[in-house]
Amino acid sequence: MIISLKDGLKLFGIIIVAFCAVFVCTFFLNFYMDAVEIKDTVTEAQQPLYDAQLATARFTSAISGGFLGLIAIVMVVFYIKLYVDGHMRQLGILKAMGWSNQKIAFRFWVFGLSIFIGTALGFGAGHIAMPFIYEGLTIDTLDIDIHFHAILLIMLVFVPTIIYSLFACGYAYFALRRPVNDMLKGRVEKKLKRRKEKPAKDSKERSFLVETCFKTLGSKKLLAFFVAFACFCFSAMVQMGASMKQLSTETMGLMILVIGIVLAVTTMFMAVTSLVKNNVKTVSMMKVFGYSMKECALSVFGGYVPFAFLGFVVGTGYQYGLLSLMVNIVYKDVAAVPDYNFNVPVFFITLACFIVLYTAVMAVYAFKLNKVSVKEVMLEN
Amino acid sequence: MIKAENIIKTYNGGAVEVLKGVSLDIKEGEKIVILGASGSGKSTLLSVLSGLERVDGGKVFYDDKDLSTMTEKELTEFRRNTVGFIFQQYYLLPHLNVENNVKMGADLIGNKDFREIIKAVGLENKLKNKPAELSGGEQQRVCIARALAKNPKILFLDEPTGALDEKTGREVLDYIIKSQGERGFTMVMVTHNLNIAETADTVIKMNSGVITEVYHNASPKTAFEIGW
Repeated sequence: MIISLKDGLKLFGIIIVAFCAVFVCTFFLNFYMDAVEIKDTVTEAQQPLYDAQLATARFTSAISGGFLGLIAIVMVVFYIKLYVDGHMRQLGILKAMGWSNQKIAFRFWVFGLSIFIGTALGFGAGHIAMPFIYEGLTIDTLDIDIHFHAILLIMLVFVPTIIYSLFACGYAYFALRRPVNDMLKGRVEKKLKRRKEKPAKDSKERSFLVETCFKTLGSKKLLAFFVAFACFCFSAMVQMGASMKQLSTETMGLMILVIGIVLAVTTMFMAVTSLVKNNVKTVSMMKVFGYSMKECALSVFGGYVPFAFLGFVVGTGYQYGLLSLMVNIVYKDVAAVPDYNFNVPVFFITLACFIVLYTAVMAVYAFKLNKVSVKEVMLEN
Repeated sequence: MIKAENIIKTYNGGAVEVLKGVSLDIKEGEKIVILGASGSGKSTLLSVLSGLERVDGGKVFYDDKDLSTMTEKELTEFRRNTVGFIFQQYYLLPHLNVENNVKMGADLIGNKDFREIIKAVGLENKLKNKPAELSGGEQQRVCIARALAKNPKILFLDEPTGALDEKTGREVLDYIIKSQGERGFTMVMVTHNLNIAETADTVIKMNSGVITEVYHNASPKTAFEIGW
């Protein structure tokens, strides 16, 4: 079998994103369904809070589930592309031997396995966390019992697994539609259909390092998205988690904080690992020529720094906008909801942590790049 | 210029001994060919002499500086300021065009005239082409330009014509030899091709990790005078 079950299980990024998406959706949707069942028992005094809670559950599950679901799709695309690019010759040999695109693409169903694991774990964890979440959402004012809803299990675990498996096969089918000869030679067809290089707008010529920086970024644009997303998650969820202490319960704040950090770390790990893997040959050749480690790291990671800060800024805006919306619109008729203002100290603390952590991650990976053995790279060929 | 004293290089934690006490002396401006069959240790010797790999025993000196005791930073400086490389597999950066691949070498010494070198290797019309759009011979010429653009004191070549046909191989070799004559750098070339050895001043024959013979050519031949 060309793609083993192991390949499907290796996709930690997708497992964790699917886990987070379903974890959040499980308790919010379960809460929504349980809350709908007690609709007739809600008193007039409880009505504003009840309506606000229903809106929160709908809104949060739609935003988190939808957003993280999209991220999971992007990740599936990324991993399949990475797999096809990394196994171009092997897949080309199969095609040369007479395997059809459909037959090879069908094997990519295993990529949906990671979705199953992530969603199943998320569903289970969501149920374990549910009592704490109900407590945080009702704040002792509404009496809502926890029930199991089989439809949620189907819609949040089985349906996504099937959809993602089909999507993986479909995308793989399109990714495999290249001439066999190009695949055997490891050529990327679209790059041969050359766009004419635009003349430089200014007379200033880019140095080799700057050029490499731009080209690295240009050749893996999706990684810029993942870097920005990781920083977005860190910024938004850490600041939101800290603000939750005053707006909801500490448990809720801690949960958001943990989800944010887990998502940020996973996505950043995936992005930077791919980046290092893709640039091993470039870095080893630069080392051969006498470029220092700092220069090598700059050429590989340098282009992604603006995206990291962009992600941080967007994350800050997102959490502020979301919390303002919740407090000032959704909960506006509910008594005892505290005012919410932008938390400046939390922003600066998060920014400082972000800079320290980002620099540390880059330093660790620069160290990894430094360990690249020139001899090993040469022996590969 | 380069002196190796009883160097030993092993792999797999010492299980495989590739260089078994090699000693040699290379003088400035010399054209050296290290000749040997596959597995004789010639490429490993090249890696060790050029500071790409560290020895497990013995010493390698460059102008009295011991490479084996240099820190990683010092070795990087040594490669940056002193050596150039040309490999059989080219190792061009696939996402960069010809111009930027050559700039990789040129920028290290602030060489602004690198386009002259590209012109000299006959690729002035392919400045914006990526390596995948070039023939083997053209790619190797980019490698030559890249190596020469950093104006090395020693040029290390690992089977530079190994992947080329006879005609292209001769042209590439001819350009390398001519450049050596014009610029005067020291040249250390590894090959298994006995004919190519006739272009060298000194030939070092290797077998199973030891030097078996060293001889000098009184009148080295050109790339077009040798057999192939």
